[in-house]
Amino acid sequence: MTSKFTISRRDFLATTAAVTAMAGVSMPKFAFGADKVVKIGFLAPLTGEVSAWGKPGLDGCKIWADWVNADGGVKIGDEAYKVEFVAYDDEYDPSKARTGAVKLIKEDDVKFVMMLGGDPWPGAAPIADKEEMLFSTLLPSDLSPETELLVAPCEVHPIYNVTGVEWLAENKPELKTAVVCAQDDSLGKPSVATYLAAFEAAGIEVLDEPIFFDPATTDFAPLMSKMLALKPDIICLDTCYADYVHPLVEQAFQQGFKGQMISCTADFYEKLVEKTSKEFMEGFIFQFPDFDDPAMNAEHVNFNKPNDFYNEYVKRYGKGEWSAVSWEYASIMDLWADAAGRAGTTEPVKVLEAMKVGGTGRQAFGEAKWWGKELFGIDNALVGEWPVVAIKDGKAKIQDFKSIPAWWDKHSDLMIKHMKALNQMYYQRG
Amino acid sequence: MTAELFFQTVVNATYAASYMALIAVGFVLIFGVMGVVNFAHGELYMAGAYTVVALYADQGFPFFLSVAAGLAFVGVLGLLMELALFRPLRDNPLGGLIASIGFLLILQTIAVLGFGVRMKNVPPSTQDKLVFMDGVVLTYQRLYVIVAAVALLSALWIFLRKSKFGWALRACAQDREAAVLQGMSINNTARLAMFIGAALAGVAGALTAPLVSPTPYMGHPVVVSAFIIIIVGGLGSLEGAVLVSILYAFVHTFVTTLYDGTLANIVGLLLMLGVLIVRPTGLFGAKERA
Repeated sequence: MTSKFTISRRDFLATTAAVTAMAGVSMPKFAFGADKVVKIGFLAPLTGEVSAWGKPGLDGCKIWADWVNADGGVKIGDEAYKVEFVAYDDEYDPSKARTGAVKLIKEDDVKFVMMLGGDPWPGAAPIADKEEMLFSTLLPSDLSPETELLVAPCEVHPIYNVTGVEWLAENKPELKTAVVCAQDDSLGKPSVATYLAAFEAAGIEVLDEPIFFDPATTDFAPLMSKMLALKPDIICLDTCYADYVHPLVEQAFQQGFKGQMISCTADFYEKLVEKTSKEFMEGFIFQFPDFDDPAMNAEHVNFNKPNDFYNEYVKRYGKGEWSAVSWEYASIMDLWADAAGRAGTTEPVKVLEAMKVGGTGRQAFGEAKWWGKELFGIDNALVGEWPVVAIKDGKAKIQDFKSIPAWWDKHSDLMIKHMKALNQMYYQRG
Repeated sequence: MTAELFFQTVVNATYAASYMALIAVGFVLIFGVMGVVNFAHGELYMAGAYTVVALYADQGFPFFLSVAAGLAFVGVLGLLMELALFRPLRDNPLGGLIASIGFLLILQTIAVLGFGVRMKNVPPSTQDKLVFMDGVVLTYQRLYVIVAAVALLSALWIFLRKSKFGWALRACAQDREAAVLQGMSINNTARLAMFIGAALAGVAGALTAPLVSPTPYMGHPVVVSAFIIIIVGGLGSLEGAVLVSILYAFVHTFVTTLYDGTLANIVGLLLMLGVLIVRPTGLFGAKERA
């Protein structure tokens, strides 16, 4: 029987070449060796009051993984690995962080664990030490000489807060007095110390003692009445959680505050604009840009396609869902993938060594140095420039990138003084 | 303390007293009639707030219609709790308490599944405010809570004292067995108590939703404060719940303003401890629940 479909040798070769070429175009850069996968642990609050600094980060990681995996994965040694995130909700609780760390390392076989840090870190620290696992935190105030496998390669909270105050002093010299408030916890205290140092360096008087409020506070009217009674030029909301920043700002608006506001974060600020007004929020200073900001395309910014990342995030999760941490864990993954690639292994200690080679690294906002010995007892924080952001006509806009090490060189004594006063130096922490 | 700060603090405390009284009176009514400490009461408050999120913030319904819906919805939720949880466990107060804890977790989970873990933004229904003395501010949004508390609690007081159903509720609260012997229906009074108690928490949550940015976990601190209030006021005493709500709110707000909130919480707990030492039944409590 003769087939209706015959094919000549020339046709066969041409077709095969075309198919091969097409496959080449659509194939990833590396062939996956039996679909090798490297698992990364994500141990952060996904529910509860602090979830605004966990969940959006995991959402950002999903974009990061989709992009990297579509591009062939992470090349480590001679192999390419797909990246898979395994999440565990620590609910911002140390005991749950401990359980999560054990599960991620022992059961899920992750090679790196990213945390928000803060109160849960002491729960996970013994596991990191025992299992020799590389952990990252967004809070360098977790660092100490006892925890060599904990790094802060992205966010340098609370040290970057000095840049906002410095910018304010340079651009609005008429502002002379401030009041400071924060929730009474491991995020609030070192941040208050930082703001106190920054205000002192800038010649801005802090009226009265900083106000530490109970994290269980639900009605912020009395707190704001107290602050406004001091008639400050600046209200500093420190590193309050989003669930506190919003009612505090709303109270400031309702009680008729007309001055300057500054805060570490202004997550979901569109809602603040909606609740108050564009006019009230005009000039509100904080430290976290939207990544669609044209200034994010500056040459020194190391984050991969920030505008596209922001647009993809908004497309997937909604416009008002972008937060301070949406990009941060993804940025840490850039550093980890680069270091693992250079180390040729996912073995945690070797990745850490590769990460710290030469004492510098490509932090999201530019070249930075591994730093922190004086403040944290160990050079495990990657510190360089950090943006100052202000709300202009209802939209976050980068005003400047300012150098944290440059500020430190001039005012380290002030920072250490205030950290000591609030028992926040590494050797004072329990 | 300047006069301006003093009067602003009075205004702040009046608001706090109002919403706490709405919650505490509902809490105490349920305890009085059912004999159950309803630890899900804070979540009923949360359910009221989320009704406003769903209807007013998300769907654009009028604010007061959404508040009324919150009152009705949470009242019905209370009826369902009575039927499904508390009635089968009527002779087992510990079982009722445990069931209420289980139910609060269910309500929190439903809120998380329906609305996410993060706080929800509820725009104020009005930006208008009253300004006294050139700086003392009372927003209309807070004024609504004060007016609602006065109106609803007055109506409840009249209902309990002037109506047949109110008498039945009080009789059951004082002595359930004697009330049954007089021909009163325990089921009916329990339903009524649960509906009113839950609805008061629901309306408090609904009215304060634009002021607190609702979260699935917003009920916990509220129920802790309510618990302190009803212990100091006397378990089962509605008058005690109202008066101690005012006392607690004023002490808490003034201590917060003059010192700080943590100290205010400590003062609240010391107040409870002191009253329990001097008068174990609370300021207005009888030896048995009344």
